[in-house]
Amino acid sequence: MRTFAVNARYLIVPIMSLLTIGGILLGGSYTWLGVALFGVCTVIDIGTRNIHRRADFASDGTSYGVKRFQYGVMYMMLPVFIALQLALAWQIRKYSVSASEAVALSNLFGAILSAALWAGLGIIYGHELSHNRREGFFVSRLIMALSGASHFTYAHVYNHHLDLGHENDPATAPRGRNVYAHAWHSHMGQSHYSFDMESGKAKRRQKSFMNFDNRWIIGYLFSLPTLVLFIWAGGLWGVAAILIIWGISNFLLEALNFMGHYGLIREEGKPVEHRHSWDNDNIFTSWFFIEIGRQCDHHVRGETYFWELDDVKGPNYGVGYFELFLYTLIPPLFRKFVQVHLDHWDQNYATEAEKKIAKEIYLNANPKIQSAL
Amino acid sequence: MLNVFKKVVPTQIAKLEPFGVEIAIEKGERLLSAALRQGLDWPHRCKVGSCGTCKAVLISGEIKSQLDFAYVLTDKEIDEGYILACQSMLKSDISVRVVQRKEMK
Repeated sequence: MRTFAVNARYLIVPIMSLLTIGGILLGGSYTWLGVALFGVCTVIDIGTRNIHRRADFASDGTSYGVKRFQYGVMYMMLPVFIALQLALAWQIRKYSVSASEAVALSNLFGAILSAALWAGLGIIYGHELSHNRREGFFVSRLIMALSGASHFTYAHVYNHHLDLGHENDPATAPRGRNVYAHAWHSHMGQSHYSFDMESGKAKRRQKSFMNFDNRWIIGYLFSLPTLVLFIWAGGLWGVAAILIIWGISNFLLEALNFMGHYGLIREEGKPVEHRHSWDNDNIFTSWFFIEIGRQCDHHVRGETYFWELDDVKGPNYGVGYFELFLYTLIPPLFRKFVQVHLDHWDQNYATEAEKKIAKEIYLNANPKIQSAL
Repeated sequence: MLNVFKKVVPTQIAKLEPFGVEIAIEKGERLLSAALRQGLDWPHRCKVGSCGTCKAVLISGEIKSQLDFAYVLTDKEIDEGYILACQSMLKSDISVRVVQRKEMK
Protein backbone atom coordinates (compact mmCIF):
# COMPACT_ATOMS: atom_id res chain seq x y z
CA MET A 1 0.00 0.00 0.00
CA ARG A 2 2.85 2.36 0.90
CA THR A 3 4.55 1.59 -2.41
CA PHE A 4 1.34 2.42 -4.26
CA ALA A 5 0.85 5.70 -2.38
CA VAL A 6 4.43 6.88 -2.87
CA ASN A 7 4.34 6.20 -6.60
CA ALA A 8 0.79 7.43 -7.23
CA ARG A 9 1.47 10.83 -5.66
CA TYR A 10 3.62 11.74 -8.66
CA LEU A 11 0.67 11.39 -11.03
CA ILE A 12 -0.76 14.88 -10.45
CA VAL A 13 0.64 16.36 -13.67
CA PRO A 14 -0.26 13.37 -15.89
CA ILE A 15 -3.84 13.38 -14.60
CA MET A 16 -4.26 17.14 -14.85
CA SER A 17 -2.69 17.17 -18.33
CA LEU A 18 -5.29 14.63 -19.46
CA LEU A 19 -8.06 16.74 -17.91
CA THR A 20 -6.70 19.78 -19.74
CA ILE A 21 -6.75 17.86 -23.03
CA GLY A 22 -10.32 16.78 -22.28
CA GLY A 23 -11.31 20.39 -21.62
CA ILE A 24 -9.83 21.57 -24.90
CA LEU A 25 -11.57 18.79 -26.81
CA LEU A 26 -14.92 19.51 -25.14
CA GLY A 27 -14.66 23.13 -26.23
CA GLY A 28 -16.72 26.04 -24.93
CA SER A 29 -15.70 27.37 -21.55
CA TYR A 30 -14.15 23.98 -20.73
CA THR A 31 -11.11 25.13 -22.72
CA TRP A 32 -10.20 27.21 -19.66
CA LEU A 33 -9.97 24.09 -17.49
CA GLY A 34 -6.18 23.95 -17.79
CA VAL A 35 -5.86 27.54 -16.57
CA ALA A 36 -8.29 26.85 -13.73
CA LEU A 37 -6.36 23.73 -12.67
CA PHE A 38 -3.12 25.74 -12.65
CA GLY A 39 -4.86 28.25 -10.38
CA VAL A 40 -6.13 25.51 -8.07
CA CYS A 41 -2.61 24.10 -7.84
CA THR A 42 -1.30 27.54 -6.91
CA VAL A 43 -3.82 27.79 -4.07
CA ILE A 44 -2.97 24.29 -2.80
CA ASP A 45 0.75 25.05 -2.99
CA ILE A 46 0.36 28.21 -0.93
CA GLY A 47 -1.92 26.41 1.52
CA THR A 48 0.66 23.66 2.08
CA ARG A 49 3.71 25.93 2.24
CA ASN A 50 4.53 24.87 5.79
CA ILE A 51 4.30 21.14 5.22
CA HIS A 52 7.72 19.74 4.43
CA ARG A 53 8.49 16.04 4.34
CA ARG A 54 11.58 14.01 3.67
CA ALA A 55 11.52 11.42 0.91
CA ASP A 56 9.99 8.10 1.96
CA PHE A 57 12.32 5.20 2.50
CA ALA A 58 11.67 1.74 3.95
CA SER A 59 13.41 0.78 7.19
CA ASP A 60 16.24 -0.87 5.22
CA GLY A 61 16.92 2.43 3.43
CA THR A 62 15.50 1.42 0.05
CA SER A 63 13.14 3.75 -1.75
CA TYR A 64 9.48 2.93 -2.31
CA GLY A 65 9.80 4.35 -5.84
CA VAL A 66 9.31 1.74 -8.57
CA LYS A 67 11.67 2.56 -11.42
CA ARG A 68 9.84 0.73 -14.21
CA PHE A 69 6.54 2.34 -13.25
CA GLN A 70 7.96 5.85 -13.00
CA TYR A 71 9.85 5.48 -16.26
CA GLY A 72 6.71 4.13 -17.93
CA VAL A 73 4.80 7.22 -16.80
CA MET A 74 7.56 9.59 -17.94
CA TYR A 75 7.77 7.96 -21.36
CA MET A 76 3.97 8.09 -21.65
CA MET A 77 4.08 11.83 -21.12
CA LEU A 78 5.52 12.23 -24.62
CA PRO A 79 2.28 11.06 -26.31
CA VAL A 80 0.28 13.01 -23.71
CA PHE A 81 2.05 16.25 -24.63
CA ILE A 82 1.63 15.43 -28.32
CA ALA A 83 -2.10 14.87 -27.70
CA LEU A 84 -2.24 18.26 -25.98
CA GLN A 85 -0.91 19.93 -29.13
CA LEU A 86 -3.21 17.89 -31.39
CA ALA A 87 -6.26 18.87 -29.31
CA LEU A 88 -5.37 22.54 -29.53
CA ALA A 89 -4.61 22.31 -33.25
CA TRP A 90 -8.04 20.75 -33.75
CA GLN A 91 -9.73 23.70 -32.00
CA ILE A 92 -7.69 26.19 -34.02
CA ARG A 93 -8.60 24.34 -37.22
CA LYS A 94 -12.29 24.56 -36.31
CA TYR A 95 -11.91 28.28 -35.60
CA SER A 96 -10.03 29.01 -38.81
CA VAL A 97 -12.48 27.05 -40.97
CA SER A 98 -15.75 28.31 -39.51
CA ALA A 99 -14.52 31.40 -37.61
CA SER A 100 -16.47 32.24 -34.48
CA GLU A 101 -19.49 30.10 -35.41
CA ALA A 102 -17.96 26.98 -33.92
CA VAL A 103 -15.39 28.38 -31.46
CA ALA A 104 -15.53 31.72 -29.64
CA LEU A 105 -12.23 33.62 -29.75
CA SER A 106 -12.21 33.94 -25.95
CA ASN A 107 -12.50 30.17 -25.58
CA LEU A 108 -9.82 29.62 -28.19
CA PHE A 109 -7.60 31.90 -26.12
CA GLY A 110 -8.44 29.77 -23.07
CA ALA A 111 -7.40 26.66 -24.98
CA ILE A 112 -4.10 28.25 -26.00
CA LEU A 113 -3.31 29.38 -22.45
CA SER A 114 -4.28 26.01 -20.99
CA ALA A 115 -2.11 24.17 -23.52
CA ALA A 116 0.81 26.55 -22.91
CA LEU A 117 0.79 26.19 -19.13
CA TRP A 118 0.68 22.38 -19.21
CA ALA A 119 3.08 22.08 -22.15
CA GLY A 120 5.50 24.10 -20.02
CA LEU A 121 5.42 21.33 -17.44
CA GLY A 122 7.13 19.08 -19.98
CA ILE A 123 10.32 20.42 -18.42
CA ILE A 124 9.93 18.27 -15.32
CA TYR A 125 10.00 15.09 -17.44
CA GLY A 126 12.49 16.48 -19.96
CA HIS A 127 14.78 17.27 -17.04
CA GLU A 128 14.52 13.93 -15.25
CA LEU A 129 14.93 11.92 -18.44
CA SER A 130 18.01 13.90 -19.47
CA HIS A 131 19.92 12.38 -16.57
CA ASN A 132 19.46 8.71 -16.89
CA ARG A 133 19.15 6.16 -19.63
CA ARG A 134 20.24 6.75 -23.22
CA GLU A 135 16.66 6.12 -24.36
CA GLY A 136 15.44 8.57 -21.75
CA PHE A 137 17.81 11.22 -23.04
CA PHE A 138 16.27 10.84 -26.50
CA VAL A 139 12.71 11.04 -25.16
CA SER A 140 13.77 14.11 -23.18
CA ARG A 141 14.89 15.79 -26.41
CA LEU A 142 11.56 14.97 -28.06
CA ILE A 143 9.54 16.31 -25.12
CA MET A 144 11.59 19.51 -25.06
CA ALA A 145 11.30 19.83 -28.85
CA LEU A 146 7.53 20.14 -28.44
CA SER A 147 8.35 23.46 -26.77
CA GLY A 148 11.01 24.37 -29.33
CA ALA A 149 13.72 23.81 -26.70
CA SER A 150 15.47 20.57 -27.60
CA HIS A 151 18.83 22.26 -26.98
CA PHE A 152 17.97 22.19 -23.25
CA THR A 153 18.81 18.51 -22.85
CA TYR A 154 22.45 18.90 -23.92
CA ALA A 155 22.98 22.31 -22.34
CA HIS A 156 21.51 21.18 -19.02
CA VAL A 157 23.78 18.15 -18.66
CA TYR A 158 27.02 19.46 -20.14
CA ASN A 159 26.80 23.13 -19.17
CA HIS A 160 24.47 23.68 -16.20
CA HIS A 161 25.63 20.71 -14.13
CA LEU A 162 29.28 21.54 -14.73
CA ASP A 163 29.24 25.33 -14.44
CA LEU A 164 26.44 25.84 -11.92
CA GLY A 165 26.74 28.97 -9.80
CA HIS A 166 29.36 30.46 -12.09
CA GLU A 167 29.01 33.07 -14.81
CA ASN A 168 29.75 30.36 -17.39
CA ASP A 169 26.33 28.87 -16.65
CA PRO A 170 23.59 30.81 -18.44
CA ALA A 171 20.93 29.01 -16.38
CA THR A 172 22.21 30.48 -13.08
CA ALA A 173 20.66 33.91 -12.56
CA PRO A 174 23.08 36.46 -11.07
CA ARG A 175 21.94 38.73 -8.24
CA GLY A 176 19.95 41.67 -9.50
CA ARG A 177 18.54 40.05 -12.64
CA ASN A 178 14.76 39.65 -13.00
CA VAL A 179 12.98 36.60 -14.32
CA TYR A 180 12.02 38.24 -17.62
CA ALA A 181 15.61 39.12 -18.48
CA HIS A 182 16.75 35.73 -17.23
CA ALA A 183 14.30 33.87 -19.47
CA TRP A 184 15.87 35.48 -22.52
CA HIS A 185 19.53 35.26 -21.41
CA SER A 186 19.23 31.70 -20.18
CA HIS A 187 17.36 30.42 -23.22
CA MET A 188 19.71 32.03 -25.70
CA GLY A 189 22.80 31.19 -23.64
CA GLN A 190 21.93 27.50 -23.46
CA SER A 191 21.17 27.35 -27.17
CA HIS A 192 24.47 29.10 -27.86
CA TYR A 193 26.32 26.61 -25.65
CA SER A 194 24.74 23.72 -27.53
CA PHE A 195 25.67 25.39 -30.84
CA ASP A 196 29.28 25.78 -29.69
CA MET A 197 29.43 22.14 -28.56
CA GLU A 198 28.40 20.95 -32.00
CA SER A 199 30.65 23.44 -33.72
CA GLY A 200 33.63 22.21 -31.66
CA LYS A 201 32.79 18.57 -32.32
CA ALA A 202 32.52 19.22 -36.09
CA LYS A 203 35.89 21.01 -36.10
CA ARG A 204 37.61 18.22 -34.16
CA ARG A 205 36.29 15.72 -36.67
CA GLN A 206 37.10 18.02 -39.60
CA LYS A 207 33.47 18.07 -40.70
CA SER A 208 31.26 20.91 -41.83
CA PHE A 209 28.95 22.41 -39.16
CA MET A 210 26.06 21.30 -41.37
CA ASN A 211 26.32 17.57 -40.83
CA PHE A 212 23.86 14.80 -40.05
CA ASP A 213 25.28 14.33 -36.55
CA ASN A 214 24.73 17.96 -35.50
CA ARG A 215 22.43 17.62 -32.45
CA TRP A 216 21.78 21.37 -32.28
CA ILE A 217 20.29 21.37 -35.78
CA ILE A 218 18.54 18.02 -35.34
CA GLY A 219 17.00 19.26 -32.09
CA TYR A 220 15.34 22.18 -33.83
CA LEU A 221 14.27 19.89 -36.69
CA PHE A 222 12.42 17.82 -34.06
CA SER A 223 10.24 20.93 -33.54
CA LEU A 224 9.27 21.15 -37.21
CA PRO A 225 6.27 18.77 -37.03
CA THR A 226 4.72 21.00 -34.34
CA LEU A 227 5.21 24.07 -36.49
CA VAL A 228 3.77 22.35 -39.58
CA LEU A 229 0.78 21.10 -37.56
CA PHE A 230 -0.12 24.58 -36.33
CA ILE A 231 0.41 26.23 -39.72
CA TRP A 232 -1.89 23.60 -41.24
CA ALA A 233 -4.43 24.12 -38.45
CA GLY A 234 -4.74 27.85 -38.64
CA GLY A 235 -2.21 29.61 -40.85
CA LEU A 236 -1.26 32.84 -39.09
CA TRP A 237 -3.58 31.99 -36.18
CA GLY A 238 -1.73 28.73 -35.81
CA VAL A 239 1.66 30.45 -35.90
CA ALA A 240 0.49 32.95 -33.27
CA ALA A 241 -0.80 30.11 -31.10
CA ILE A 242 2.42 28.11 -31.22
CA LEU A 243 4.50 31.21 -30.54
CA ILE A 244 2.42 31.89 -27.43
CA ILE A 245 2.78 28.27 -26.34
CA TRP A 246 6.53 28.21 -26.90
CA GLY A 247 6.91 31.61 -25.24
CA ILE A 248 5.01 30.61 -22.10
CA SER A 249 6.43 27.10 -21.84
CA ASN A 250 10.01 28.35 -22.21
CA PHE A 251 9.32 31.09 -19.70
CA LEU A 252 8.17 28.45 -17.19
CA LEU A 253 11.30 26.41 -17.89
CA GLU A 254 13.58 29.38 -17.31
CA ALA A 255 11.59 30.45 -14.24
CA LEU A 256 12.46 27.06 -12.71
CA ASN A 257 16.14 27.66 -13.49
CA PHE A 258 15.80 31.18 -12.07
CA MET A 259 14.28 29.96 -8.81
CA GLY A 260 16.66 27.00 -8.49
CA HIS A 261 19.91 28.96 -8.27
CA TYR A 262 19.14 32.70 -8.11
CA GLY A 263 22.10 34.68 -6.83
CA LEU A 264 24.14 31.70 -5.62
CA ILE A 265 27.87 31.75 -6.19
CA ARG A 266 30.52 29.10 -6.74
CA GLU A 267 34.20 29.59 -7.42
CA GLU A 268 35.24 28.21 -10.80
CA GLY A 269 36.76 24.75 -10.47
CA LYS A 270 35.44 24.14 -6.96
CA PRO A 271 33.05 21.22 -6.52
CA VAL A 272 29.30 21.74 -6.67
CA GLU A 273 27.93 21.37 -3.17
CA HIS A 274 24.50 21.48 -1.56
CA ARG A 275 24.83 25.20 -0.85
CA HIS A 276 24.89 26.05 -4.57
CA SER A 277 21.17 25.41 -5.06
CA TRP A 278 17.89 26.45 -3.47
CA ASP A 279 15.49 23.76 -2.33
CA ASN A 280 11.74 24.16 -2.83
CA ASP A 281 10.36 21.14 -1.10
CA ASN A 282 6.97 21.76 0.41
CA ILE A 283 4.74 18.76 0.01
CA PHE A 284 2.70 19.87 -2.99
CA THR A 285 5.66 21.23 -4.93
CA SER A 286 7.56 17.98 -4.29
CA TRP A 287 4.76 15.76 -5.56
CA PHE A 288 3.59 17.98 -8.41
CA PHE A 289 7.05 18.73 -9.79
CA ILE A 290 8.31 15.14 -9.22
CA GLU A 291 10.86 16.37 -6.65
CA ILE A 292 12.62 18.72 -9.08
CA GLY A 293 12.65 21.21 -6.19
CA ARG A 294 15.20 19.08 -4.32
CA GLN A 295 17.92 20.86 -6.25
CA CYS A 296 20.56 20.73 -3.49
CA ASP A 297 20.65 16.94 -3.48
CA HIS A 298 20.10 16.65 -7.23
CA HIS A 299 23.15 18.72 -8.14
CA VAL A 300 25.42 16.70 -5.91
CA ARG A 301 23.92 13.32 -6.83
CA GLY A 302 22.91 14.00 -10.43
CA GLU A 303 22.60 10.30 -11.17
CA THR A 304 19.92 9.81 -8.52
CA TYR A 305 16.31 9.13 -9.49
CA PHE A 306 13.86 11.81 -8.43
CA TRP A 307 12.04 9.55 -5.96
CA GLU A 308 15.29 8.97 -4.07
CA LEU A 309 16.23 12.64 -3.64
CA ASP A 310 16.13 13.84 -0.07
CA ASP A 311 16.22 16.89 2.17
CA VAL A 312 19.92 17.64 2.71
CA LYS A 313 19.34 20.76 4.83
CA GLY A 314 20.66 23.04 2.11
CA PRO A 315 19.46 26.59 1.38
CA ASN A 316 15.68 26.58 1.29
CA TYR A 317 13.21 29.29 0.30
CA GLY A 318 10.63 27.72 2.58
CA VAL A 319 7.85 28.10 0.03
CA GLY A 320 6.75 26.07 -2.98
CA TYR A 321 7.36 26.78 -6.65
CA PHE A 322 3.87 28.08 -7.41
CA GLU A 323 4.07 30.68 -4.66
CA LEU A 324 7.63 31.68 -5.48
CA PHE A 325 6.75 31.89 -9.18
CA LEU A 326 4.11 34.51 -8.34
CA TYR A 327 6.76 36.54 -6.50
CA THR A 328 9.17 36.34 -9.45
CA LEU A 329 6.52 37.83 -11.74
CA ILE A 330 6.74 41.05 -9.70
CA PRO A 331 10.50 41.77 -9.61
CA PRO A 332 10.49 44.30 -6.72
CA LEU A 333 8.52 41.85 -4.59
CA PHE A 334 10.87 38.99 -5.48
CA ARG A 335 13.97 41.08 -4.75
CA LYS A 336 12.62 41.96 -1.31
CA PHE A 337 11.72 38.33 -0.59
CA VAL A 338 14.96 36.85 -1.85
CA GLN A 339 17.37 39.36 -0.29
CA VAL A 340 16.62 37.99 3.17
CA HIS A 341 17.50 34.52 1.93
CA LEU A 342 20.63 35.73 0.13
CA ASP A 343 21.84 37.51 3.25
CA HIS A 344 21.28 34.31 5.20
CA TRP A 345 23.19 32.36 2.53
CA ASP A 346 26.09 34.80 2.65
CA GLN A 347 26.29 34.55 6.43
CA ASN A 348 25.73 30.84 6.88
CA TYR A 349 26.65 28.94 3.73
CA ALA A 350 29.14 30.96 1.64
CA THR A 351 32.89 30.38 1.84
CA GLU A 352 35.13 33.43 2.30
CA ALA A 353 35.94 33.37 -1.42
CA GLU A 354 32.24 33.23 -2.33
CA LYS A 355 31.52 36.12 0.03
CA LYS A 356 34.23 38.12 -1.68
CA ILE A 357 32.61 37.52 -5.08
CA ALA A 358 29.22 38.50 -3.62
CA LYS A 359 30.68 41.76 -2.28
CA GLU A 360 32.08 42.62 -5.70
CA ILE A 361 28.70 41.93 -7.28
CA TYR A 362 27.02 44.28 -4.80
CA LEU A 363 29.65 46.98 -5.30
CA ASN A 364 29.15 46.87 -9.08
CA ALA A 365 25.36 46.51 -8.99
CA ASN A 366 23.37 49.19 -10.73
CA PRO A 367 21.00 50.10 -9.16
CA LYS A 368 22.61 49.43 -5.78
CA ILE A 369 21.39 46.41 -3.82
CA GLN A 370 20.98 46.70 -0.06
CA SER A 371 22.63 43.67 1.49
CA ALA A 372 24.03 42.52 4.81
CA LEU A 373 27.54 42.24 3.37
CA MET B 1 0.08 -3.67 -6.51
CA LEU B 2 3.08 -2.04 -8.15
CA ASN B 3 5.27 -5.04 -7.33
CA VAL B 4 4.32 -6.32 -10.77
CA PHE B 5 6.73 -3.71 -12.14
CA LYS B 6 9.59 -4.98 -10.02
CA LYS B 7 11.93 -7.67 -11.34
CA VAL B 8 14.90 -9.62 -10.07
CA VAL B 9 18.09 -7.88 -11.20
CA PRO B 10 21.03 -10.06 -12.23
CA THR B 11 24.56 -8.87 -11.51
CA GLN B 12 27.73 -8.64 -13.57
CA ILE B 13 31.33 -8.40 -12.48
CA ALA B 14 33.77 -5.52 -13.01
CA LYS B 15 37.45 -6.10 -12.31
CA LEU B 16 38.99 -2.77 -11.33
CA GLU B 17 42.64 -1.79 -11.63
CA PRO B 18 44.59 -0.40 -9.85
CA PHE B 19 42.30 -1.24 -6.93
CA GLY B 20 42.84 -4.94 -7.61
CA VAL B 21 39.25 -5.80 -6.71
CA GLU B 22 36.19 -7.26 -8.38
CA ILE B 23 32.79 -5.72 -7.72
CA ALA B 24 29.28 -6.89 -8.48
CA ILE B 25 27.15 -4.51 -10.55
CA GLU B 26 23.39 -4.85 -10.77
CA LYS B 27 21.75 -4.66 -14.18
CA GLY B 28 20.81 -1.06 -14.80
CA GLU B 29 23.39 0.25 -12.33
CA ARG B 30 26.23 2.49 -13.49
CA LEU B 31 29.83 1.50 -13.00
CA LEU B 32 30.76 4.55 -10.92
CA SER B 33 27.66 4.32 -8.71
CA ALA B 34 28.38 0.66 -7.99
CA ALA B 35 32.03 1.36 -7.19
CA LEU B 36 31.18 4.23 -4.85
CA ARG B 37 28.43 2.19 -3.20
CA GLN B 38 31.06 -0.43 -2.44
CA GLY B 39 33.39 2.11 -0.88
CA LEU B 40 36.02 2.57 -3.60
CA ASP B 41 37.83 5.89 -3.93
CA TRP B 42 37.08 6.42 -7.63
CA PRO B 43 37.81 10.00 -8.74
CA HIS B 44 34.57 11.72 -9.68
CA ARG B 45 32.86 15.10 -9.68
CA CYS B 46 29.64 15.73 -11.62
CA LYS B 47 28.28 12.15 -11.98
CA VAL B 48 26.23 13.21 -15.03
CA GLY B 49 28.84 12.74 -17.77
CA SER B 50 29.96 16.33 -18.22
CA CYS B 51 33.29 16.70 -16.38
CA GLY B 52 35.32 13.61 -17.37
CA THR B 53 36.81 13.11 -13.89
CA CYS B 54 35.63 9.48 -13.65
CA LYS B 55 37.20 8.30 -16.89
CA ALA B 56 38.65 4.83 -17.14
CA VAL B 57 40.14 2.54 -19.79
CA LEU B 58 38.05 -0.45 -20.80
CA ILE B 59 40.49 -3.37 -21.03
CA SER B 60 38.01 -6.13 -21.80
CA GLY B 61 34.25 -6.70 -22.00
CA GLU B 62 31.46 -4.48 -23.27
CA ILE B 63 29.60 -1.53 -21.82
CA LYS B 64 26.53 0.42 -22.90
CA SER B 65 27.14 4.16 -22.72
CA GLN B 66 24.20 6.21 -21.47
CA LEU B 67 25.47 9.48 -22.91
CA ASP B 68 27.62 10.43 -25.90
CA PHE B 69 31.23 10.43 -24.65
CA ALA B 70 32.39 12.51 -27.64
CA TYR B 71 31.68 15.85 -25.92
CA VAL B 72 34.00 15.04 -23.03
CA LEU B 73 36.57 12.55 -24.32
CA THR B 74 38.75 13.15 -27.37
CA ASP B 75 38.45 10.91 -30.41
CA LYS B 76 41.90 9.55 -29.56
CA GLU B 77 40.78 8.64 -26.03
CA ILE B 78 37.65 6.96 -27.36
CA ASP B 79 39.75 4.95 -29.84
CA GLU B 80 42.02 3.93 -26.96
CA GLY B 81 39.04 2.56 -25.03
CA TYR B 82 38.41 5.35 -22.55
CA ILE B 83 34.92 5.44 -21.02
CA LEU B 84 33.07 7.59 -18.50
CA ALA B 85 32.25 5.36 -15.54
CA CYS B 86 29.29 7.49 -14.44
CA GLN B 87 27.57 6.87 -17.78
CA SER B 88 28.48 3.24 -18.30
CA MET B 89 26.26 0.22 -17.77
CA LEU B 90 27.62 -3.27 -18.28
CA LYS B 91 26.73 -5.53 -21.20
CA SER B 92 29.14 -8.22 -20.00
CA ASP B 93 31.68 -8.78 -17.27
CA ILE B 94 34.42 -6.21 -17.75
CA SER B 95 37.91 -5.26 -16.76
CA VAL B 96 38.83 -1.56 -16.49
CA ARG B 97 41.75 0.60 -15.40
CA VAL B 98 40.66 3.63 -13.41
CA VAL B 99 42.52 6.83 -14.31
CA GLN B 100 43.93 8.21 -11.07
CA ARG B 101 43.92 11.92 -10.23
CA LYS B 102 47.69 12.22 -10.61
CA GLU B 103 47.40 10.96 -14.22
CA MET B 104 44.92 13.65 -15.20
CA LYS B 105 46.17 16.73 -16.98
